[in-house]
Amino acid sequence: MTTIEAPASREVPYVSAVAEAFAQLMREDPAIFIAGEDVALYGSVFGVTRGLLNEFGPERVIDTPIAESGIMGLGLGAAATGLRPIIDIMFMDFMGVCMDEVVNQIAKMKYMFGGKAKIPLTIHTMAGAGTSMAAQHSQSLEAWFCHVPGLKVVMPSGPYEAKGLMVAAVRDDNPVIVVNTKTILGMRAHVPEELYEIPLGKAHVVRPGTNFTILATGRMVGESVRAAELLASDGLDVEVIDPRTLQPFDTETVVASVKKTHRALVAHEAVRFGGIGAEFAAQIQEEAFDHLDAPVGRVGAPFTPVPFSPPLEKEYLPNADKIAAEVRRILGRQA
Amino acid sequence: MPGAVGLVVNPASGKDIRRLVASASVFDNREKLSIVRRAILGAIAAGVDRFIYMPDWHAIVASAIAELREDSEFEPLPVPSTDSALDTTRAAERMSELGVGCVITLGGDGTNRAFALGWQDAPLVAISTGTNNVFPQMVEGTVAGAAAGLVASGKVPLREASRQVKVVHVGIEGEKDDLALIDAVLLDEAFVGARAIWSPARLKTLVLARAEPAVVGMSAIGGLLHPVPDCADAGLVVEAGQGGQEVMAPIAPGLYAPVHVRTFRQIGLGETVEVRGPGVLALDGERERRIKPGQAVKLTVRRNGPIVVDVPAVMHRAATRGFFRSAQSEALDGD
Amino acid sequence: MTGISTDVLLDIHRRMVRIRTFEEEAGKLMESGKIPGALHLYVGEEAVAAGVMVHLRDTDQITSTHRGHGHLVAKGGDLKRMYAELFGRATGYCKGKGGSMHVSDLDLGMLGANGIVGAGPPIAIGAAFSNKYRGTDDVTCCFFGDGASNEGTFHEAANMAALYKLPVIFICENNGFGEFTRQERHQAIHDIADRAAGYGMPGVVVDGMDALAVYESAGEAIARARRGDGPTFLEYKTYRYFDHVGVRGMGVIYREDSEVLEWRQRDPINLMEARLAEQGLLSPEGAAEVHEAALADVREAIAFAEASPFPEPSALMEDIYTLTASAGGGA
Repeated sequence: MTTIEAPASREVPYVSAVAEAFAQLMREDPAIFIAGEDVALYGSVFGVTRGLLNEFGPERVIDTPIAESGIMGLGLGAAATGLRPIIDIMFMDFMGVCMDEVVNQIAKMKYMFGGKAKIPLTIHTMAGAGTSMAAQHSQSLEAWFCHVPGLKVVMPSGPYEAKGLMVAAVRDDNPVIVVNTKTILGMRAHVPEELYEIPLGKAHVVRPGTNFTILATGRMVGESVRAAELLASDGLDVEVIDPRTLQPFDTETVVASVKKTHRALVAHEAVRFGGIGAEFAAQIQEEAFDHLDAPVGRVGAPFTPVPFSPPLEKEYLPNADKIAAEVRRILGRQA
Repeated sequence: MPGAVGLVVNPASGKDIRRLVASASVFDNREKLSIVRRAILGAIAAGVDRFIYMPDWHAIVASAIAELREDSEFEPLPVPSTDSALDTTRAAERMSELGVGCVITLGGDGTNRAFALGWQDAPLVAISTGTNNVFPQMVEGTVAGAAAGLVASGKVPLREASRQVKVVHVGIEGEKDDLALIDAVLLDEAFVGARAIWSPARLKTLVLARAEPAVVGMSAIGGLLHPVPDCADAGLVVEAGQGGQEVMAPIAPGLYAPVHVRTFRQIGLGETVEVRGPGVLALDGERERRIKPGQAVKLTVRRNGPIVVDVPAVMHRAATRGFFRSAQSEALDGD
Repeated sequence: MTGISTDVLLDIHRRMVRIRTFEEEAGKLMESGKIPGALHLYVGEEAVAAGVMVHLRDTDQITSTHRGHGHLVAKGGDLKRMYAELFGRATGYCKGKGGSMHVSDLDLGMLGANGIVGAGPPIAIGAAFSNKYRGTDDVTCCFFGDGASNEGTFHEAANMAALYKLPVIFICENNGFGEFTRQERHQAIHDIADRAAGYGMPGVVVDGMDALAVYESAGEAIARARRGDGPTFLEYKTYRYFDHVGVRGMGVIYREDSEVLEWRQRDPINLMEARLAEQGLLSPEGAAEVHEAALADVREAIAFAEASPFPEPSALMEDIYTLTASAGGGA
């Protein structure tokens, strides 16, 4: 990209924010290496590791065989013996191939060893539908990992979050899964040039409001802001919250918002049934039941594999309109 | 059982530590199975319809037979499988009793030594699937099978295309006798361990039935000092140690090492060399017998070993007699 | 093929005896209900752990299996903390959170026994990668069984180890059974080392009941890895005297008693003692002393474990996450 603007409004696309985070982190800490399929020579199929091989060499930027269990185990063994690996799993759907490493080994080693192990491991992966990649390259499976004690899960909603959360994830001494959304890789926003951390476990109020709370993850944060704008014409003043970290979840910020607005909806791109929104909704009801004026709503994808054909995929994907419609339904108003 | 071909496959050959400490070939058992198939088909083409085989624990021969679906007669020997060299010796004893016409072995020097312990003057076609192969030949399984078949069925008389080889007779004071086909070597070792020899510093006395310059192993040490081929009615004794000369010899595949030689001398057939313990006696390249301090070992080279089929000579005779040609052309050429 | 010093010979013997004693006593305690859960005992396979581990430094790592006590004992693990873990006590290696299947000691490079068959190889290549990355000449020994050799994890790790020339040694303890299934019923090959060539590394088959054959072959493979020449696959043919779980070994549906007795005739400890006696290096009295000393240590460890407290209920929620100074902290 060519930066013409003054640094104060340094607009950077999501993909470059991630690449910048990787490079700056690797300059800072020689224990960091990155391994994954086509991350070195090709610079990752999404471009997030472009330039790293040139700067850091093949010892630290490693093309692996297509062998997710092997790659993930390599990350664990290296993390347990003093390194700080970043493991790239190209599509989140491929996490299925290495679930034992993630769920039974990485997440549990510390606990099983009585607290002795330290696993500073970052898993970087791409979720999300909308590119006609069909059922095995489009899923959002973050809820699976939020269910496993020992793991942390973050889900950036834009370039600023992508860099700041990545820095925090890599510096964290625990396994952290960074779930990016491939359809927002081109999204541009202000990103500070220096290294900065967005603290894990801390939600962010993206748009303050007074009479409705939308809690949205990943790409749905932007869609929820759009929905809020649509709903403003109905006279609604919607607050949009991005939890940023799904595990650990910042219950406090969300509950404070709901106590103020009395109505809430959770939105994510993942399938609605059993999605992380179900957990969020349950927590809101547990902590703020007496403050609620309506049931907590949920927007997510329908219970179907992700389809290939563009019209079908469009039907599948949640968006601002669907979020706004659900808010109106909850409020009993017609669009 | 004249007319039958015997089959003995050593499942353990071609897998020992010399793949690690030297550059020896790996003979996986699937390859051995393929060679057995080819040998059987070669023998069938030569007119054999009866096979006697040693059942090995890995079921190499049995699997080869099952895959072939030939209606020839295949008879396993009723010897219990111990998954050790003892199986081969017992199978040899039984084949000798049955008067099998010709035996095909798959293995290295060690395998054939184990066979000769049970049937010293067996008619053999030895296919090399071992490590140091002075005794067995690098011969295509198909052709080896055909040659064995021609001999077993009497189409080419054994005496016309074979030679009886020399062996080293080993008499160990107070213990049972032993045999080596190529070499018997006293080592400065206390234990059998991983069996193979890869350290020249441990060599003490070598008694060689053959000293061949174009092979690998103990025989090559003598062969590069003073060749004594199998056709010569003599053996060679080499005393290793400082104070003499140095010979650079391949003591294992790819492993050239300087061997210090104090003296060497040719010995006649029937002449006995006596060595004394302590040490370990290696036979055909493998540490086999521990020798106690002061215990005497008598080593004698004699020409009363296996009768080795000369595969090219057998095939040449079969060809000149038109055995594989149609009746018409046979009539035209006559013989 | 190097002359083995008397000290090393006696050390290997001592390690084998300690494993056997540890396991037999643990088995009895499990049978009597004193140790909760499942124990997978290593009895019969001692020569492998002892013959390999005697070459290793504390900074060399190992990955282990569900049958992992022997590996930790041989690597120099503290018997007291091991027994305390088996008893589920707060003084155990894992504060009672891991149990038999997760005993570990990171200070000894022991990256854990593991409840998942085939979990070790990917972790082992990670540790080996780390050794190489950090510029040490430490090596990682990856123990696994014939059953695990059918797991995809083994194949992925073997491929990557050879590709990256990692200082890792794949040590296949082929005891002839994947749980209760005989080897010929779970794979179409008998020598698992045959697979090594397919990944581009040397593979050798060694008698796993002979501690000296193990010692020699492991020594060569470890030296090769330290030199930077890459991985080796060592297959040790060995045998599990007891059942997959527990101490019952005879009268089981999946094997004949006679087979067990045949293997026991080549018992690795007896074999070693006979050789040491033959060389005049260990008298019957000397051997008895080693066994007695091991039993005394084990009994002391058991007493320590039994006298140790159980973890407080509040420990349940501890040790899930590491508190990180620079980032977001635990949940």
